[in-house]
Amino acid sequence: MKTKSFIIALMAGAFALTACQDKDWEVPDSIISQPPYGNNDLVAGPIVTIAELQTQFSSAISSDNYKQITDDLWLRCVVTGNDFGGNIYKQISVQDETAGIIIGINGSDQGAFMPVGQKLLISLKDLYIGGYGNQAQIGGLYNGGLGRMELSTWKQHVRLIMDGTEEAKAFGAMKVDTIDFDPNKTMAQQGGRVVRLKNVTISGDGTQIVAPDDGSVSLVSNCVNRTISGGNAGSKCVLRTSTYADFKGVALPKQPVELYGIATIYRGTWQILARTQTDLTWTK
Amino acid sequence: MKIKHLLPSLISVRACLHSAKRKTSLFCPRLIAASLYLVAPLSYAQTIETAVVDTLSSVEEEMLSDDSNFTFTESQLGENDDITSDVIHINSTTNVYASQISWAWTGIWFKYRALDNAYNDVYMNGVQVNNPENGRFTYSTIGGMNDAVRNKDDVGPFDPNNFSFSAIGGSSNYNLRASQMAADHKVTLSGTNRNYTLRGMYSFGTGLSNDGWAFFGTVGYRWSNMQTANVKGTFYNSFSYFMSVQKVINEKHSLNLATWGSPTERATAGASTDEAYWLANDYQYNPYWGYQGGKKRASRIVTTFEPSVLATWDFKINEDMKLTTSAFLKIAKYRSTKLNYSGTNPHPDYWKRFPSYNYDVWGREGDYNYDADAFWTSHENWQDEHYRQINFDELYFANTQLNKIGADAIYWIEARHNNHLMSNLSSTYDWNINKDMKFSAGIQLLSNRGSHYRTIDDLLGGEFFHNTNTYLVGDYQQTSTEAMYDVNHGYQKIIEGDRYGYDYDLWNQDIKLWTNFSLQRKITHNYITAKLGGRRMWREGFMRNGLFQDNSYGKSGKAHFLDGGVKLGSVINLGKGHGVNVGLAYEQKAPGASVAFMCPEMNNDYVLALKNEKVFSSELGYAYFGRWFRLNLTGYYYRVNDANEWQQFYNDDSNSFSYNSLTGVKREYYGVELGVKIKLTSSLTLTALGTYSEAKYVDDTKVNWMSSTTGVINQEICHNKGMRQSGTPLAAASIGLNYRIKRWYLGLTGNYYDRIYLSYSPNMRYEKNLQNSGRYHAGEYDVPSQAKGNGGFMLDASIGRQFIVFRNPLSVNLQLCNLTNRRNISTGGYEQSRSNYSITETEGSGTEVTTKPRTYNFEKNPKKFYAQGFNFMLNLNYRF
Repeated sequence: MKTKSFIIALMAGAFALTACQDKDWEVPDSIISQPPYGNNDLVAGPIVTIAELQTQFSSAISSDNYKQITDDLWLRCVVTGNDFGGNIYKQISVQDETAGIIIGINGSDQGAFMPVGQKLLISLKDLYIGGYGNQAQIGGLYNGGLGRMELSTWKQHVRLIMDGTEEAKAFGAMKVDTIDFDPNKTMAQQGGRVVRLKNVTISGDGTQIVAPDDGSVSLVSNCVNRTISGGNAGSKCVLRTSTYADFKGVALPKQPVELYGIATIYRGTWQILARTQTDLTWTK
Repeated sequence: MKIKHLLPSLISVRACLHSAKRKTSLFCPRLIAASLYLVAPLSYAQTIETAVVDTLSSVEEEMLSDDSNFTFTESQLGENDDITSDVIHINSTTNVYASQISWAWTGIWFKYRALDNAYNDVYMNGVQVNNPENGRFTYSTIGGMNDAVRNKDDVGPFDPNNFSFSAIGGSSNYNLRASQMAADHKVTLSGTNRNYTLRGMYSFGTGLSNDGWAFFGTVGYRWSNMQTANVKGTFYNSFSYFMSVQKVINEKHSLNLATWGSPTERATAGASTDEAYWLANDYQYNPYWGYQGGKKRASRIVTTFEPSVLATWDFKINEDMKLTTSAFLKIAKYRSTKLNYSGTNPHPDYWKRFPSYNYDVWGREGDYNYDADAFWTSHENWQDEHYRQINFDELYFANTQLNKIGADAIYWIEARHNNHLMSNLSSTYDWNINKDMKFSAGIQLLSNRGSHYRTIDDLLGGEFFHNTNTYLVGDYQQTSTEAMYDVNHGYQKIIEGDRYGYDYDLWNQDIKLWTNFSLQRKITHNYITAKLGGRRMWREGFMRNGLFQDNSYGKSGKAHFLDGGVKLGSVINLGKGHGVNVGLAYEQKAPGASVAFMCPEMNNDYVLALKNEKVFSSELGYAYFGRWFRLNLTGYYYRVNDANEWQQFYNDDSNSFSYNSLTGVKREYYGVELGVKIKLTSSLTLTALGTYSEAKYVDDTKVNWMSSTTGVINQEICHNKGMRQSGTPLAAASIGLNYRIKRWYLGLTGNYYDRIYLSYSPNMRYEKNLQNSGRYHAGEYDVPSQAKGNGGFMLDASIGRQFIVFRNPLSVNLQLCNLTNRRNISTGGYEQSRSNYSITETEGSGTEVTTKPRTYNFEKNPKKFYAQGFNFMLNLNYRF
C-alpha cells in the first residue's frame, strides 16, 4: 500500500513540479511603436533636402574635404541601398525626392534593420559631411578624414519611421524614383541614387562570373571593377562588385543587358553598385 | 594478526547491514568488498583504533555523502555537456588521497590525474553505462536521487575488483538492488546559492520482506529561477525519480528491476574574457542571456531526459560461485539551444564589441589601431547591462523587418539534439576458488544509436529561412545545389520545428570480454586482468549534403576495431603497517564514433589513419596504516599513443567553418599523490592531501581538416607539443581538520590550487597559421605558450549536528565554501580559435595573400570560467 502511495506521489510530483521555465516567447509589441534600433525620442526640427544639403556643403564635397554640421538640420529620407546583398559594406544609400547621398556607418546588418524602403528621420547636427572621390557622404571622423560614424553615434541620430505610426503620417508620402543613368549628370544630380542602365555591355576579361576571387582578375579593395560600355553607360562607368557579395558568382552576360544599382562617383568614374542579385538579372 | 585481517571486512559487513537496516541480503556490494579486504594486505595492519576512526558518525556520513553527490552529480559532473570539462568521480576506499579528493576539491572542477571523464568507467549492477560514442558517463542523469546511488564500489585503476577491467581513471559500480537500500522514509530539504536554490527529496524503502520482496523509490526536485540562481541569466528545473523492485525467489535466484530518470531543464552560462569580466565587474558574467520586452531570457537551455531501465538476475550457483546478469535500456533525449545567425554575430561578448577592438592595449609593435574615442565609447557602452547582454528586441526587430521584404530570418534559436538509444547486456561470473584464489570473468554486449540533428527552436519573429549552407553563398548561388544542406528537399524553406543543417545517426556496437584472477601468496597479493573487445560502427545520413551528394545520404561503410589489454598488479605487505603496491597495464582502446568521422555533420567519410588508442599505465605506491597515522604516497605514469581528437571551429584563415581531426596524438600523464590522515585526539582528525602532476602532449600532431566551404581535406601539423591538459589544477593541496564530538561534526579545510591551464587552440598552432602570424623564423616555430588561469587558496567549513525529533534522527548540516570569497580563481576555459590577423588579397593581381594584424589580440583573450565566491548549502534530512 505504501509502495502504491509512493508511485502515486511520484506521478503527481512529476506533473506538478516540472513546469517549464522557458516559456513560449512572443514578438514584443513594443518593437513596432518603439523600434529597438535608433533614437525614438527624436522629433523633427528644421527639415533640409538632400539637394539643399549638398549645395550647402558643396565646397567640402567637391574638394574631398569635410565639415561638421553645426546647424540644427533634419533629413527625411528613404533607404535605397544597404549591405543586404553583401556588396555595399558599412554604408547605406538614401534618397529623398531631390537627390541621393551615401551614409557611412560602422555597423553590419544594416540591410536587416533598415531594409530598402525604410523611412528615416536623421538629426544631422554634429555629424560630418564631405566628399570621398567627390562623392557626397555623411559620416564621422576616422584617422583625421571623413569616414564611417560609429554605430552608437548613428543610433543616436536616426529614428526609424514605421508604417502605420503617427510619425509615418507626419513623414508623408515620399516618392523615390529609379532614374535612367546619364553619364553627363553631375554628382549632385545622380550620385547616391538608384539608376538603371540599359542595353549595356559588361567586360568579362575572359572570366565567367562577376567577381571571382581566384586571382583571375585584378582586385581593388577586394572588389572587381568591370567596365560598362554601350547603351547609356558613357565612357567612364564600371560595375563595382565585392568578392564578398552574395552574388559574386553570377555569370557574366554575353550580350547587352539592363542592370540596376546605386550610382557613386570616384574621381570622375561612375561606379555602379548592385545591391542584390535582383539588380543583375540581366534583362535585355 | 588474524583479527587484524578480518576487522576491515567485518566493518564493511557491519556498514552494509546497517545500511539495509539489518535486512538479510546475499548480494551486498560491501560484502564483496569485504571479501576483497580479506585478501588485501594493506589492510593487514589496520588496528581497531583506526578502524573506528574510519567509521564515520552518521551525521558526518550523511554530510559527506550528500556533499559528494551534490558537488559532483549536480554542480559539476555532466552539467556542462557543451563544455569539454568533466570530472572523474574516484573514491577508492583503501587510499586516503583517492577517498578524499572527490569531495575536498569540488569547487575547482578537479580532474583525477588530469584525465578526461572518458577514462572513467561506470557500471550499474555490473553493466557498463558509459556512452560508447564518446566514452563518457553523464553524472547529471543520476542527479537528485542521492539515496538511490549511495551504494557503489569505487575502484582505482589498479584496485582489483570483480566487475571490470578498471579504467585508467578508475571505475565505479553502482548497486541498484532494492534490498540494499535503506528501509525507511527519508525527507531531505536543502537551500543553497549555487546552480539551484532549493532541493527537496523523499525516499522510501521497504527493505527485504519476509516473502522476498523489496522496494525502494525516491523522488527529488531541484529548482532555481532567474531571480535566485547564482549566475545571472540561468535557472534550474529538475525532477528526478528512481524505483527499484527486487524479488528474492530463493537462496539461489533473485530478480531486480530498476528504473530512473531525471527530466531537467536548465539555462547554462558561458565563459568569457577577462576584459568582459572586468567591464561587467562580475567574475560570473554570463553572455548567454538578454532582455526581451524587459524580461530576462536565456539563449542556451539544455533539456535532458534519459529514462533508463535495468533488469538484473543474480544467480548464486553455490557458496563460491555466482553469476550476475543485467540488461540495460536507455532512451536518452538531450537538447541544447543556442542563438545562431547568418548576419552579424549578435553575442554581446563578440570581439568587435570590446574596447580593445578599437585600441591596442597590449603595446605591440606594428600597424595597430589606436582609436581612443571608439575605445571609450565601447567602454561606456559596456557599463549598460542591456549592451553587455543579448538584445533580443533588436533581433526580433531585424527579422520582422526582413519579413517585409520576404527575406530569410538572420537570427534564430537553434536546438541541437543528441539522442541515444542504448541497450546493454552483461554477465559476470565470480568464483572464489579457495581462500587464496579468486577468479571472475564477464561479457558485455552493447548497442548504441546516437541520433544527431538540429532543429529551429525559435525564429525570433522571422517567418522562415532556407536550408542552405550560408558559408557557401557567394562561391555558389544561394539556390545552387552545392549550397543545399539537403538536396533531396531542394531549396527548402525551414520553419520552427523543422530539422536543418544536419541529420544523422551514429551506430556503435561493442562486445567485450574480461577476466580477472587474483592470488594471495605469502606477503603478496597479485592479480592479472585481461580484456578483449570488438567494436563496429557506422553512420547513417538523412540529408544529402550539396557538397557531398554521393556520400552523405544513407549508410556509410562499417568500420571494425579489435581492442584489448592486460593489467598486472601486486600488493606487498612489508609488515608493521607498511605496504607497497605496483601495477602495470597496457591496453588498446577502439576510437568512439564521436572522433571517427571527418565531418559527420556533412558526410560519411571516416577520419584518415584512424587507429586504436594505445595506453600504457603504471603505478607505484607506498602506504602506512598505523594506530593514529595513515599515509598513502603514490606515483603514476601513463602514456597514450595514437589517440584521436576532433574539434570544429571557425577558421579565420579559410574564412569558413572547419572540421579538424587530430590523429596519432601522443600524451603522457605522470605525477605524485599524497594523502595523510592523523588522528590528533579521539575526536580531532587532520587530513592532508596533495598532488603535483603533469599531463601534456609529447609531440606535435598530424591534422586533417576540412573546410565547410570547399569540402576539401587539408593536411597540417599542429605544434601542440608541451600543451597541457586543461580545466583542472595540475597542482593541488589541502589540509583539513575534522572535529567530532557526540552528535556534532565540524570541519575546516584549506585548499590551494595551481597550474590551471586552459584548453589550447590547435588552430593557433597550425604550421601555416604560425607562418601567417609571423612566428616562423629561420626554420624555427615560435609556438605561443598555453594560456593559464589563476590558481589560489580557498577555505571551506562545515558544521553538522544530529537531533532526535519524535524519536527519529534529524540531521542538520551547513556547508560554507570559499569563506574568503576568492572569486578570481579560474576553473578552466579555452583559448579562442580566431587569429590575430586577417587574410587580405594584395591590391592588383589578387594572387598573393598577405596578412594584416588585428588590433584585438585573441591570444591574450582566452575565455575563462571562474570559481564561485562564497557559497553555502544548508541541508536537513529526517528519517522516520
